[in-house]
Amino acid sequence: MSAFAEFEEERRQIDSLLGQGYTVAGIMEDLDGARVKFIRREQPSGAPVELLLLTADARKHVTAVLHGGTGSVKALEAHA
Amino acid sequence: MADLRIDFAGIQSPNPFWLASAPPTNTGYQVQRAFEAGWGGAVWKTLGEPVINTSSRFAAVHFGGQRVAGFNNIELITDRPLEVNLKEIAETKKRFPDRTIIASLMVEPKREKWHEIVKRVEAVGVDGLELNFGCPHGMAERGMGAASGQQPDLVQAQTAWVKEVAQTPVIVKLTPNITDITVVARHAVKGGADAISLINTINSLAGVDIHSWNTIPHVGGQGAHGGYCGPAVKPIALSMVAECARDREVGVPISGIGGISTWQDVVEFMLMGSTGIQVCTAVMHHGFRIVEEMIDGLNNYLDDKGLSSVMELIGKSVPRYSNWGDLDLNYKVVARINEEHCINCNKCHIACEDASHQCIDMLTDAAGKAILQVREEDCVGCNLCSIVCPADGAIDMIAVDTGAAPMSWNQRNQIISGLGSSYSEVEVG
Repeated sequence: MSAFAEFEEERRQIDSLLGQGYTVAGIMEDLDGARVKFIRREQPSGAPVELLLLTADARKHVTAVLHGGTGSVKALEAHA
Repeated sequence: MADLRIDFAGIQSPNPFWLASAPPTNTGYQVQRAFEAGWGGAVWKTLGEPVINTSSRFAAVHFGGQRVAGFNNIELITDRPLEVNLKEIAETKKRFPDRTIIASLMVEPKREKWHEIVKRVEAVGVDGLELNFGCPHGMAERGMGAASGQQPDLVQAQTAWVKEVAQTPVIVKLTPNITDITVVARHAVKGGADAISLINTINSLAGVDIHSWNTIPHVGGQGAHGGYCGPAVKPIALSMVAECARDREVGVPISGIGGISTWQDVVEFMLMGSTGIQVCTAVMHHGFRIVEEMIDGLNNYLDDKGLSSVMELIGKSVPRYSNWGDLDLNYKVVARINEEHCINCNKCHIACEDASHQCIDMLTDAAGKAILQVREEDCVGCNLCSIVCPADGAIDMIAVDTGAAPMSWNQRNQIISGLGSSYSEVEVG
């Protein structure tokens, strides 16, 4: 699989979760990549979903989504 | 025609082109010939207690058909008595009163030694002083040159001693043989330096003769490290100039030195914060008259840019020089191959396949012609293909819109930190 295809698959998963009403609650980066915790905005106490992002572009994308204002404020508010 | 005059820390010069303290400024005969050719100033070869030099002093690194890509020397400071030099400086200044003469100085790190030489040199009418804290070979073994320049407190102290008696502007010449040149630059300023010049030469051994096993150069079968300069060091010099130019605690004019060979190099150094520049190796390679083309080229460039004075160039690129952590991660360029210019040598494919991200395909078009094509979605914009491409115009690096707002690594870390502690609440598995 090309690097772009790997990224596209990870981006699809991120965007899918965001589209379902999830928001990014936390990001932890380590040697294996970025572990991203998603929670439902409407149910912050519900079961979180986690993605392990491997590609650089996906790790960039998930923070770009937050930085772009589409999720960052909501994510921070959800955890205030 | 633009005004090429510069004001360097109060020193007026008819143009920014100065000869660096080096073999081309060893005598009045040489400096006067340089001034006849058009050089605006000269930093006289370093004065101090006269040395005895070795025979066999220079070596060069030739690379890919380019002679003198790099240059190495083990020559020390002047080997002529001070009075001989001073007499020639006075004669030269009298004959060329509008040109700048700077005296490069190096003595032991003792207050009285500095006071003595400063007073004697200024008495003959030099326009400024350059303190040589950079020479990496020979003199450093005697506690001078780079040995002084690698100790910030000693740079500060010696600069202050000079400033106690100096009547003309004091330029401190910095060694690149140090981890962070701005530390020394700041100490020079604390000592009272009116300006700094950089870089001096870089520790080097030009080569080893694989047949005789001697070093290059060698002195009767023995070698010692020398100072490296010439076109190969320009990127190192430019980086160090940029670091000093953007450091608010430095804040004094910069004389840029290091591999400058053309008017384009001069423009680059001035854009990156140099008020003037100094040249050595290019003159040793091609002679004093290279300044004619440098003057013409700079004049034409300024006219093309609509600038009336060369001083308008100074520091214009400094705000564009930043930290890696502040660069935009969402900026993206991709390679595009222009078939009309491509010669199908496949160098781009090989480079991408072996050393980058495997995104240039060797294909055959409908007419059966071999073509190279970039899969832009997989291209990371590393520039390698365009660097190795031998055909002008065959590969362009094109900026593409990612649709994402600019975001730096530092901003990204702030975003992640803002999410922060909540992550520990989730079970990772």
